[in-house]
Amino acid sequence: MERALVDRDLLTEIEQFLYREALALDERRFQDWLAFFTDDVVYEVPVRVTREGNAEWELSPTSRIFDDTKETLTVRIQRLDTDFAWSEQPPSRTRHYVTNVLVDSTDVDNEYLVRSNCFIYRSRGDEPNPSMYSLARRDTLRRTGSGLQICRRWGAFDQAMINAHNLSIFI
Amino acid sequence: MGTWARDKSLAEALPEIRRGIGEGVFPARVFNDQEVFDLEQERLFSRAWCFLAHESEIPSNGDYVTRYIGNNNIIVVRDENGEIHANLNMCRHRGNLMCKSEMGNASHFRCSYHGWTYKNSGELIGVPYMKEGYNGALTRKDWRLVEVRVDTYAGLIFGCLSPDTEPLDQYLGEFKFYLDFYLKQGDSGSEVHGPPDHWIAETDWKICTENFTGDGYHTPVAHQWGFALGYFPSSGSTHSQGWAVSIPGKGHGIGLGHSPDFPAFGGFPDELVKQMRETFSPEQVSVFEKVRTGVGTVFPNLSFLMQPFSLVPGGPGVRFTTMRLYHPVAPGRMEMYSWCLVPKDASPEYKDLAYKAYTLAFGQAGTFEQDDFENWIKVTKSAKSTAVKDVDFPYIMGMESEFDPDFQGPGHAVVPYVNDTNFRNLWTRWGDYLGGDA
Repeated sequence: MERALVDRDLLTEIEQFLYREALALDERRFQDWLAFFTDDVVYEVPVRVTREGNAEWELSPTSRIFDDTKETLTVRIQRLDTDFAWSEQPPSRTRHYVTNVLVDSTDVDNEYLVRSNCFIYRSRGDEPNPSMYSLARRDTLRRTGSGLQICRRWGAFDQAMINAHNLSIFI
Repeated sequence: MGTWARDKSLAEALPEIRRGIGEGVFPARVFNDQEVFDLEQERLFSRAWCFLAHESEIPSNGDYVTRYIGNNNIIVVRDENGEIHANLNMCRHRGNLMCKSEMGNASHFRCSYHGWTYKNSGELIGVPYMKEGYNGALTRKDWRLVEVRVDTYAGLIFGCLSPDTEPLDQYLGEFKFYLDFYLKQGDSGSEVHGPPDHWIAETDWKICTENFTGDGYHTPVAHQWGFALGYFPSSGSTHSQGWAVSIPGKGHGIGLGHSPDFPAFGGFPDELVKQMRETFSPEQVSVFEKVRTGVGTVFPNLSFLMQPFSLVPGGPGVRFTTMRLYHPVAPGRMEMYSWCLVPKDASPEYKDLAYKAYTLAFGQAGTFEQDDFENWIKVTKSAKSTAVKDVDFPYIMGMESEFDPDFQGPGHAVVPYVNDTNFRNLWTRWGDYLGGDA
């Protein structure tokens, strides 16, 4: 059985970090949100495919829904700051629920592998039915001069056919 | 009053709707209606050549994907001899779904209900209790999986449920000239970068089809953020330049956007341009080298888009190609499949950059795709509202557009790019099918 190799203070620090990151998204403070990521961040969401249980992979090694860097995440945020990002005008109301946080040390000093579940509730306009997405996340967090930052965000949707006309939100 | 009066059934209104298309009107209601959906299933998707898969999705013997034509689930497979087959994904014994995965590799398919087993090509080879139960009354060769007509063009695998429909080659007709630009990039052609993005949207498939038959008109507004951040090599003022090309009588159409001073084959790597200049016909080179944006549809529901795009505004554009399939599941509701195509011969670096450009712009989280779908779900919702029942939309743009005599490609080519000519041709063909004349 795997056992967390980190102490309670670190676990609390990382949980609080993830909650604050989620809060920045849910309060649409996107510039603040960008600051949670290192400049060399890799932000990836693979495409899931329904396959037999014994298949080599279910998450495509080549297809991605998000395939982003800090540079392209910044473009996405700049886009939202124009008056013409119709998909978020009026904006989605999101709530990110982050649970099942597991922290493990890695081979790199000051980097931690952080696994979590993320449930996203998304409401738009006067549409009574919200969209809901469930994801597994695997982040790598790095301790830098300015505290913790995410240097890798990886999230996989549990749906192979995602029930959303678009994904103009972040995971 | 519109061409589809509110008290008329589709059958009653269809002659008037078809007449209206030629005159430049088309009813809003068509974009979200149960009668339309039902008749499309019966007369359009049961008769047209419908896209199933790209050959590079099933490169090895035994590879399969499951896809749809209309509401029919189909196994598309490469058999043990390398031949491609399409069979209904349904056991002939009691109708159970044979294959429950979207993709995989199998030499045989075995039904999970009573155990009938088929070769991947579809022949029935195993029946439990053959002797004890059937005692010689059942002949295996009479009960193979229901076969679907299948044919290919330049890597595209199409299926057709009707034995009477013209051969694929004729069905695509002169549109093959334009398809080559997407499918024959370099000596070895194009391949999929990976499995498609796949999502469901409250959008009618016809809205997507129309947009991708060359709606250059929406770009400066629907994607205005891109112009605002300085993304495009065209500006709003020159955006109308280019051609709209339709294939009369077929429904296919393509918009070819051009910008002043656009470099020939801009956004492709040099090596690839060299290959394309050699493999394409002189007429194809003459047309393709000027194209910034190529956005076209194979009737009824397969589309392509190609254009240079940079990861950051103002950067050197890299050419990406997307292929998309709109699978109707209900009136105003569809499943979207979106692939990125890359030239097989290109360097891994180029393929990676092209793929990154694709995901930033298209696919479910793509910054262009996001805004398109936001608009399209609203159109779909409007089309269902009662007051809109007998409202027509105008399709008169470019009624007087003139044929461009210098244009060297086949079909009916008009300027400018911003034009409804392709859509009138598209809906005319749709009317042929729904009216039982195709």
